[in-house]
Amino acid sequence: MIDPSQIRWAILIAMLAMLMMAVFVITFVVLYQKRQLAQEKNLREIEKEYQLKLLETALDSEESERKRIAQDLHDDIGTMLSLTKLSLNQLTKIINKDEPQTEYTANKVQSLLEETILHVRRITRELVPTTLKQFGLPTAIDEFVQKLDSNHSTSIQFNCNFETIPRQSQKVELTLYRIMQELVNNALKHSSGDQIVVELQLEMGKIELQVTDNGKGFDAKAMKESKKAGLGLHSIDSRLSVVHGNVAYLTPATNGCRIKVQVPLEPEKQNKTEPLHPFRKTA
Amino acid sequence: MNEYIQFFIKNPVSSLAVFITIVPIVIIWFRRAFIDKAIRFLFIYLLIKLVIDTVMLQYVLNNLNNLIFYNIHIPIRYILLGGMLYYYFESVVYKRLIISTMAVFLVFSIWDILSVNPDLSDTYNHLLVRYSSTVESVLMIFWLLAFYFDAIQSLRITNLLTFPFFWICGGLLLFYSTYVFIAPLLHYVVKWENQFDIGILYQVPYVFEIISMVLIGLGITYYSPRQYDRS
Repeated sequence: MIDPSQIRWAILIAMLAMLMMAVFVITFVVLYQKRQLAQEKNLREIEKEYQLKLLETALDSEESERKRIAQDLHDDIGTMLSLTKLSLNQLTKIINKDEPQTEYTANKVQSLLEETILHVRRITRELVPTTLKQFGLPTAIDEFVQKLDSNHSTSIQFNCNFETIPRQSQKVELTLYRIMQELVNNALKHSSGDQIVVELQLEMGKIELQVTDNGKGFDAKAMKESKKAGLGLHSIDSRLSVVHGNVAYLTPATNGCRIKVQVPLEPEKQNKTEPLHPFRKTA
Repeated sequence: MNEYIQFFIKNPVSSLAVFITIVPIVIIWFRRAFIDKAIRFLFIYLLIKLVIDTVMLQYVLNNLNNLIFYNIHIPIRYILLGGMLYYYFESVVYKRLIISTMAVFLVFSIWDILSVNPDLSDTYNHLLVRYSSTVESVLMIFWLLAFYFDAIQSLRITNLLTFPFFWICGGLLLFYSTYVFIAPLLHYVVKWENQFDIGILYQVPYVFEIISMVLIGLGITYYSPRQYDRS
């Protein structure tokens, strides 16, 4: 037989159990939300990583395509042009040199052909900067700047202590090189200045690339928001995100603009001499 | 009617425990929540509970033994609430287990009723079941904890606090976690013409029932046919 005190105890235990379950439910809510936050964070990171991978693949594809076009130009068009030049030389020897008009035309064709060969070589080099792969970033930038300087009225200067810049992975060097190309071309096209200075230096564990011009300057934020005009700047951002770099658009005291790009320095690795064919396929 | 009013005045908590069931029923009806299969089972259970509780109240007012309804109510409650969880869970293993326990529990509770009351026609001396309510509580606590386990494992619920089933299962968990301690004594305590005087504590089980119904009602208010998304 059960007495009232036993029932009282049972009810008190039941009340305690209810309280415990209430605490359980509250704890569950807290735990659930914590786990949910952690999962969301995880998902965001995965998505970010995936986007980065996608971007990297797109940039790799772009470089492969450039390489392929350069190879076709070099192997097919280049060879054909060289053969044409040879044949033309032979033809020049056998034509009647007494007729000035014929000689004039032959020389003109020859000069046009030589110019075309030079153009093809230049385009090939621009598509695939072989100097970059063989001799590193400072040399490649120097070569690029010197070529531009000789072809343009704008003065282009490159400041760098070559020995201080260590070799980086192909990805980092190519990224900085393409960004430099984009920035210098932008300055030439839009700045309306007459002086461009490219600087490459080491700054607190980072490789710093600066492109300064004395032109009219521009509003980077407004430019990025503009769908058409900001493509180049967006491309710089995309390239930098792959190598965890950053870019700052500054306005110097004098007119113009200064663009500062920083990329974390990679641990130094042993230099490998690669005196190979520029279009050799790498593993 | 006068008898009802007097009973309400005399026993406000137990009367409220009976009629509070109307609240979730009305909310389910107006929010059209019965469209969802799982909530439809809950809706049917609440309707049956309201009918049984009202009939039991009527029997009390007429001074008749109403314990047979309570006994019948136990397997019906487990089957309908189990049905609700059956449609909630996506796991085939859970679904099969729920169906199996439903069948076994139905047989077990019928056996329990018959073993305690060999002569069903003797309604005057009808007694409460001995084990069924305890077994039901244990089973339901298991399934409700399984709901929480499943929720935290899958993390499919976008906002837990606006998810109807969180509140429904919370209400049921609070109810069964107390009921599991009281149920083993019911057979010995609740007997016709044999009331224990335990003072205010007598009202406690009714309070648990009221809290449970309020939480179920709260859960249903969050139901939205458009935004209802369990995944």
